[in-house]
Amino acid sequence: MGSFELNTTISNLRSLLESDLSAYDAVYLGNIYCRLFEDNFLERMDDLKEGITRVKDQGLRAYVTSYAAPRNDALPKVQMALETAAAAGADAVEVHNLGVLRMVHEQFPGMAAHVGGFANVYTDAGAEVLKEYGAVRFTPNYEISLDEVESITRGAGMPAEIQVHGKMPLGVSDYCFLLEYEQHWPEKCPVLCQKQLFLKQGDWAMRSVGKGVLSGKDLCMLEHLPALVAAGHRVFRIEAAYETPAYRLQIGQVYRAALESAVAGDGTVDESAWQAIREHTAVGLCNGFYFGRTGSEYVGKRVEAIAACG
Amino acid sequence: MSGRPENAKSHLQELVTMFAVTPRRDITHRLREQLGANLGMEPIPGYGPLQASPLSTAKGCGIEAPKGCAMLLAPAGTLEAAKQAFQAGADAVYVGLKGWSRGGARGEFDREQLRQCIELAHALGKKVQLAANIIPKPPERQRLLQQLSELADWGLQAVILNDAGFLREVRRKLPGLAITASIGCGALNTDDALFYQDLGATAIVLPGYLEPEEIAAIKARASIQVEVMLHMVQEFIQLGKCWMPSYVHFAAADRIFPAQRLGGSVKRGGVGTCFRICQQPWTLVNDGVEADQRLFPSRQISRVGELAAFLDAGVDVIKIQGRSLSAEMASVIIGIYRSATDAWKCGQKGEWDPPALPAMWTVQGR
Repeated sequence: MGSFELNTTISNLRSLLESDLSAYDAVYLGNIYCRLFEDNFLERMDDLKEGITRVKDQGLRAYVTSYAAPRNDALPKVQMALETAAAAGADAVEVHNLGVLRMVHEQFPGMAAHVGGFANVYTDAGAEVLKEYGAVRFTPNYEISLDEVESITRGAGMPAEIQVHGKMPLGVSDYCFLLEYEQHWPEKCPVLCQKQLFLKQGDWAMRSVGKGVLSGKDLCMLEHLPALVAAGHRVFRIEAAYETPAYRLQIGQVYRAALESAVAGDGTVDESAWQAIREHTAVGLCNGFYFGRTGSEYVGKRVEAIAACG
Repeated sequence: MSGRPENAKSHLQELVTMFAVTPRRDITHRLREQLGANLGMEPIPGYGPLQASPLSTAKGCGIEAPKGCAMLLAPAGTLEAAKQAFQAGADAVYVGLKGWSRGGARGEFDREQLRQCIELAHALGKKVQLAANIIPKPPERQRLLQQLSELADWGLQAVILNDAGFLREVRRKLPGLAITASIGCGALNTDDALFYQDLGATAIVLPGYLEPEEIAAIKARASIQVEVMLHMVQEFIQLGKCWMPSYVHFAAADRIFPAQRLGGSVKRGGVGTCFRICQQPWTLVNDGVEADQRLFPSRQISRVGELAAFLDAGVDVIKIQGRSLSAEMASVIIGIYRSATDAWKCGQKGEWDPPALPAMWTVQGR
């Protein structure tokens, strides 16, 4: 790995083929919420194998994610995805479910495991347990602060992956209520959840993806990258499982440039970067959790950017 | 542990005798009359301030099921609820200790109430499980561990924990205390059960929307006890996997329980931070156009009608959700599950049609 890693998420082969990944160092393949998501990599082993190969052919690291909340009926497919990941040379698997972490540890002992945000890493003690099960990095639970993240990384001796942009996962469900709308809308499952659907109440909103709820606002840490780098963080994620290839490319380019500047000791961000972020933000920006605040708040100097997005 | 005065011991003996000879329907009233304040909020004479004890080596026996049948585990948000739960047929109750249980301050006991509850349970041959299922701040782990050690000395048999790291620490330092991995751990499958079994958990709580076949598959591979919350509200987001409340408003838990709890969602122990976001009306906006006004789907699960299938699958503990339920409401629910469990035990598997719960107790919401 170079001086830092910038990665993103892609749910299926179509989206992978449409995406310009030149801004990234690594890609997570698969959709963690729903087995029925359109051509989910995690259900189509040939696609997954091809995806891993295509990502690696571009000189990037290929990671395979796994379901956030699998019941027993999903485990055989999880097993197949892990086998495919191992056989195709994936660089790591991401696990959100501790049972799946155990599967990886028991059956694929050489495979690096990245612990995902739904695994609920809140404390150094919890992270230490997962490290013993082969975890080499973790995404902290989304609602904890950077101070808490630091105490975990220091206590557990394991690096954190920090989501720096995109919609934050806020919950996962066993039930897709969007299916109730299939009779009324032209779109059907499995593309229904890819519509721009927001749940709004008053002046705030959340994005619905059927079995998952994401933040309506885009998490944005652009102006805080120098602080993240200074704190020792080197792995950054742009969450884009439900975003367009254009989003993935342009937001990726913004963060690549800003991270390179931050690593070089230059904290300035070109104004065009904020313009790109505004263009790809539907209801605003947030980052409050990282600062011990309400998640939908934005902490930073770019007040005008928030106003423009709101 | 401090000794209990002789008159109090004989008082408990009377209580035990009363349970043995009195029809259940009469007991609650007589409990109130005979025990009065002694088993209420007043401290028990002879008990001084609690002393810190070294980490306990007490050998708890867990809340293992009676031979041949699952245990019925009921919620108790008050001492009165615990009494009525036992009277209604619960084999054990789970209670919260003030400041340390998931879900906030609703239905938590202070230490004295907890001690009385443990003693009542022991006297009746019943058991108590303590919900200490917040995720403590790292500096507070030792304090909670010390509390658990003292409670184990009192005779507490089992504790419900939430964080994998703390769970392992408790297992190592309090080897005699049975540990249940909270429903907030989000376990759903066989490998989850094996994971918590590896860590030393005695039991794991699974949500009641799993099917008997899933329970059977878990029991076929895992030796850990399986508790299934067969009576619960299934909210849209899975328990332990929801941060919507703190996205909307991050409550400063420290103001209520200074230094003890992490702030944030219910999962991590935030106090009063579940604003029932999922039970408020939302506008569903489709590509910028209002498409619907709606609530998140949620439902009351009451699987008493399928209890035999769950028991056949090997469920060890039938768990009923709701420390915030009134004692009267909980008692009726417990009674129905008791009857159904006893019928299964008597071999009335296919012949017995369990009574339905009153409609008012099966509506959505808690």
